[in-house]
Amino acid sequence: MFRLAAQRGIANKFAGSSRALRASSLYARCRCSTWKPTSGPFLPSAVSWGNRRGYAEAAGKFSRDKPHMNIGTIGHVDHGKTTLTAAITKVLSDKGAAKFTDYSQIDKAPEEKARGITINSAHVEYESDGRHYGHIDCPGHADYIKNMITGAAQMDGAIIVVSATDGQMPQTREHLLLARQVGIKKLVVFINKVDMIQDPEMLELVDMEMRDLLSTYNFDGENTPIIMGSALAALEGRDDSVGKEKILSLVQACDEWLDVPPRDLEKPFLMPIEDVFSISGRGTVATGRVERGIATKGAEVEVVGLGNTFKTTLTGIEMFHKELDRGEAGDNMGCLLRGVKREQVRRGQVIIAPGSMKAVKKFQAQIYVLTKDEGGRYTPFMSNYRPQLFLRTADITVALTFAEGTPDAEEKMVMPGDNVEMVCELVHDVAAEAGSRFTLREGGKTIGTGIVTKILEYA
Amino acid sequence: MIAQFVRSSKPFHASRLSRAGQSCYSTTPSKPSLQHVAQLRKLTEVSISKAREALSQTNNDIQQALEWVKNDLAASGIKKAANVQSRETREGLVSVCMLSGGSRGKTSLGGGGIRAAMIELNCETDFVGRNVLFGQLAADIAHTAAFITEPTDSSTIIRSCSLDVLNDAPLLSQNNPSSHSPSTVSSSIRDLIAKVGEKVSLKRAVTVVQDPLSGQSPNLGLRLASYLHGSVGSAPHGRIGSLAVLALQSPELARRLESETFVKDLERLERALARQITGFDTRSIKSSDGDEMALYNQPFMMLGGESANKPVRMAIENWSKQQGLVRDDDEGGIEVLEFAKWSVGDIVG
Repeated sequence: MFRLAAQRGIANKFAGSSRALRASSLYARCRCSTWKPTSGPFLPSAVSWGNRRGYAEAAGKFSRDKPHMNIGTIGHVDHGKTTLTAAITKVLSDKGAAKFTDYSQIDKAPEEKARGITINSAHVEYESDGRHYGHIDCPGHADYIKNMITGAAQMDGAIIVVSATDGQMPQTREHLLLARQVGIKKLVVFINKVDMIQDPEMLELVDMEMRDLLSTYNFDGENTPIIMGSALAALEGRDDSVGKEKILSLVQACDEWLDVPPRDLEKPFLMPIEDVFSISGRGTVATGRVERGIATKGAEVEVVGLGNTFKTTLTGIEMFHKELDRGEAGDNMGCLLRGVKREQVRRGQVIIAPGSMKAVKKFQAQIYVLTKDEGGRYTPFMSNYRPQLFLRTADITVALTFAEGTPDAEEKMVMPGDNVEMVCELVHDVAAEAGSRFTLREGGKTIGTGIVTKILEYA
Repeated sequence: MIAQFVRSSKPFHASRLSRAGQSCYSTTPSKPSLQHVAQLRKLTEVSISKAREALSQTNNDIQQALEWVKNDLAASGIKKAANVQSRETREGLVSVCMLSGGSRGKTSLGGGGIRAAMIELNCETDFVGRNVLFGQLAADIAHTAAFITEPTDSSTIIRSCSLDVLNDAPLLSQNNPSSHSPSTVSSSIRDLIAKVGEKVSLKRAVTVVQDPLSGQSPNLGLRLASYLHGSVGSAPHGRIGSLAVLALQSPELARRLESETFVKDLERLERALARQITGFDTRSIKSSDGDEMALYNQPFMMLGGESANKPVRMAIENWSKQQGLVRDDDEGGIEVLEFAKWSVGDIVG
């Protein structure tokens, strides 16, 4: 959104002739947001913007040709996470598919703010033949959890780095538990420093132990790809058989084994309702910004949430006072609903493809409570705390309690800065599913942010 | 089986020689089997290369290898510890061990003295901080500190414990107090460094050791309260910890402490006070009015009920009256004497 606005602002500074250019560039942007795996290279019309804006580097044009996914490296501090990340960018930069980022640039893990929350993490990006990767490297458990909750850099997969000299370590269990907790289903293992051991037989043992451990934590231990190589060799450009080649096979393993999350356009239609109008002679129109999926005129839809869930038909789609045949993720549009009275539809409900989501009353969530410095509370809260929950356009009072069976639940407290798993019971039902993100506010300030992990009770 | 036997019996002399001089280790012909290495690792959690070295030095004999690992951990721990010495440790745990919580009725054991310790053990990442081995060591060090400290006459009850003394003390395990392991606190820390490969350091320790006051005055009693926040599971350690010393004064004290319901109520109040100290930005106990960093001025949110909006001072005065500890305007009741509150990663001056 911001990028679009920036473009417009700049475009307006140029008189006359730039109008046409602007239109074509916007067109290109719309085009490329409808992702097609087979589509050719990026349309050239947008390239000219690089020269003028000085906003992204001239060559730094983000192409949407390839599906994007975020992966992270998890491992012990001395096992070469950072070296591996640097090595990947080095090897791929030879092919022009990445910008080489050296060790010191990655290792710093700068503090950044996402939704007002401070997270330490380093990001690099690179491309394989089939995909575009965002690569995240965080120093600690808490940073990965914050990343997950805020959605700042949701990890869709991970590379576990283990040194061949040490094998898995006591804390490798914690690494796998973390991966589970942030919702990663598949991992790739990189066994690093293979040039440092004398007995190649020991690699079998590392392999065996890793597969064992993966299975213990409910990953597919048998089929998980395990790549053995030396990140340092790749970085220093020596011993290609354990260096460069292994990095390439690691990237290939990521391509083949890790699943790309479905893109917004491929998901079932969902539009949160922001506003409702009644237009005489036409009927009731609900407006909002489509979060995901595609809707066509005449489609069956379901309005869900706030105690009033029903089916209806989308008799018209409108954008900028013009009729459309279809609306898709990212569009700000109005929906004309057949036979629906104005009172039946409210802000906070959603319009979805029938059956794709349900209204929920009670769910379990992983919540991060903002610290005083992040603008949150400065005192703790106890069970049955009741802030406002904001989920999409809905604003509902929620009661936070500890999961059933928690010992001494009535005496437990939650402090600013905590990551906690809590049960949220809503006053009104709202459309939600595992993975839905929300914020918690009280007295006009954001005190926490969370992600739904499990639905406990449907409306 | 036979092959293994032959393999392990042959290099007997070689391995003896190599033990005399470490440098000839690489020429040792004995080649440890994978199963043995795996087994040794399950038993000791040492690195693969160490496990392999241990087995090749001891002819694939698990028992001897275990012994070898034990001896080697000390040496490699020192080396590893030196390697990581310069690194920063900002994660870790605060652990509290309470051996005796204070005055009780005659029927209970423990005599009524107080004895406890709180320690902070640091590591580099919270992954290690969440690990069982780390948590166990933190608990054991707290237990050791609480155990070895002698009561002394000093102006304060919570006293900081000398890290030098604590480091040289034999580690007294909490779960298994009768085991006489020869390791000291510092050598156990080095063992852990060798296992997890991160710098682990003992940052600070305080102890509370006081004999019962009841000998001097039957109307006086001491109690301990503690709370640990952010523990993984129900372990006795967390990210933030507090330890507070409370005094009870009442002519009725001895009789009241006999009552089970009174003790339960008292414990509930103690836990609430410890949570209050931990949860709020508490810097002192009493101060001028309006200072929210003073415990007695804070609204006693943690006790809940109707006390939630009253200042702690008033809430505990009311409590003392309700419990019949004080009558009318007598002196006495319950009072917070001292407290210590730590967060992991605090900068200590």
